[in-house]
Amino acid sequence: MILNGWEAVFFWIFSIAAIFAGLLTVMARNAVHSALFLISSLLSVAALFILLGAEFIAGVQILVYVGGVMVLFLFVIMLVNVGAEEQGLSEISNKPRQVAASLIFCLLLVIGLLFAINTGYQGLQKRDEARLGGTTEQRRTQQQNLATGATGTSRITTDTQQVGNSLYRFASLPFEIASVLLLVAIIGSVMLARTLKQEAAVDDVDPEVLLTKVAQEADRAETLREPT
Amino acid sequence: MLSLFAPIVAFLFQQADGGRFGVMWQSARSPDLSKFLVIGALLFIIGVAGVLTRRNIIVIFMSIELILNAANLNFIAFSRYLQDTGNMNAVAGQVFAVFVIVVAAAEAAIGLGIVIALYRNKETIWVDEIDLLKW
Repeated sequence: MILNGWEAVFFWIFSIAAIFAGLLTVMARNAVHSALFLISSLLSVAALFILLGAEFIAGVQILVYVGGVMVLFLFVIMLVNVGAEEQGLSEISNKPRQVAASLIFCLLLVIGLLFAINTGYQGLQKRDEARLGGTTEQRRTQQQNLATGATGTSRITTDTQQVGNSLYRFASLPFEIASVLLLVAIIGSVMLARTLKQEAAVDDVDPEVLLTKVAQEADRAETLREPT
Repeated sequence: MLSLFAPIVAFLFQQADGGRFGVMWQSARSPDLSKFLVIGALLFIIGVAGVLTRRNIIVIFMSIELILNAANLNFIAFSRYLQDTGNMNAVAGQVFAVFVIVVAAAEAAIGLGIVIALYRNKETIWVDEIDLLKW
């Protein structure tokens, strides 16, 4: 698998953008900035997916991650943001020793992963040497054979068709399980995020019982807050 | 617009001669599977560093999204590699990436629900102050 010409240029642009946006996600003081950097990182990775010929996954990535999950993140940040972080009143990271230990761990992980990729890729290349040769030409002719779009200059990719085929043919049971998982996640998050009042309203609790419950909850929250 | 830059890029791409630098340049102008794997590994490490060092629970969740995204990049890169080593219809990696995205969405929904419930009870999003399970 080799990218040529402009593909290589765009590969370097988007991969460097993805890594820098990822770094800034982790280092930004303000959580909203973090979320925006994560959005740009996800968009760059979507562009890499397009370079790899996975247009469907790139679209799903933009729609689901950027359009859905990150909006959810931004809402939650705005619901819970305490504001002490960006004013510099509070540390953004753990204690220095913990940070040092985790950075050493990450460094070791980098070394290990790069070593594994290097050796593994050499072995892989040795194995597939014969088959890797003519594929660039093959892919080019395949792309030439695709139907043209309405403007006549673009080609209509069959990637989505292939993904759909193999999704429903070979992975239909996992697909159904994923839908059940999403249903469980929806119900679970509604259950987790509702207040005591909403909980009691659904369960038809007697108003007096509800009042005592609310008072108990307030007491409990007070004790949990630990006046220091 | 792009053709304006084409001579510059062509000039840059010409100087691939021998030597160590030449080899590096040669490999940089034609990225292959290993480049994608390295980018995925770096994104993964950045995510791990974020999980380990940050105090804000929401930023930790975002770092987890970064980790899952790095895994997705590896899946897609290997899918393309399999397509290029003979089987033009190998899209199993892409199917798997769809499932990873589904699980990430479910995880984000549940995790943020927990964050809201926690914030309602403890009024904190610092992970070192959430120590109810510590004995």
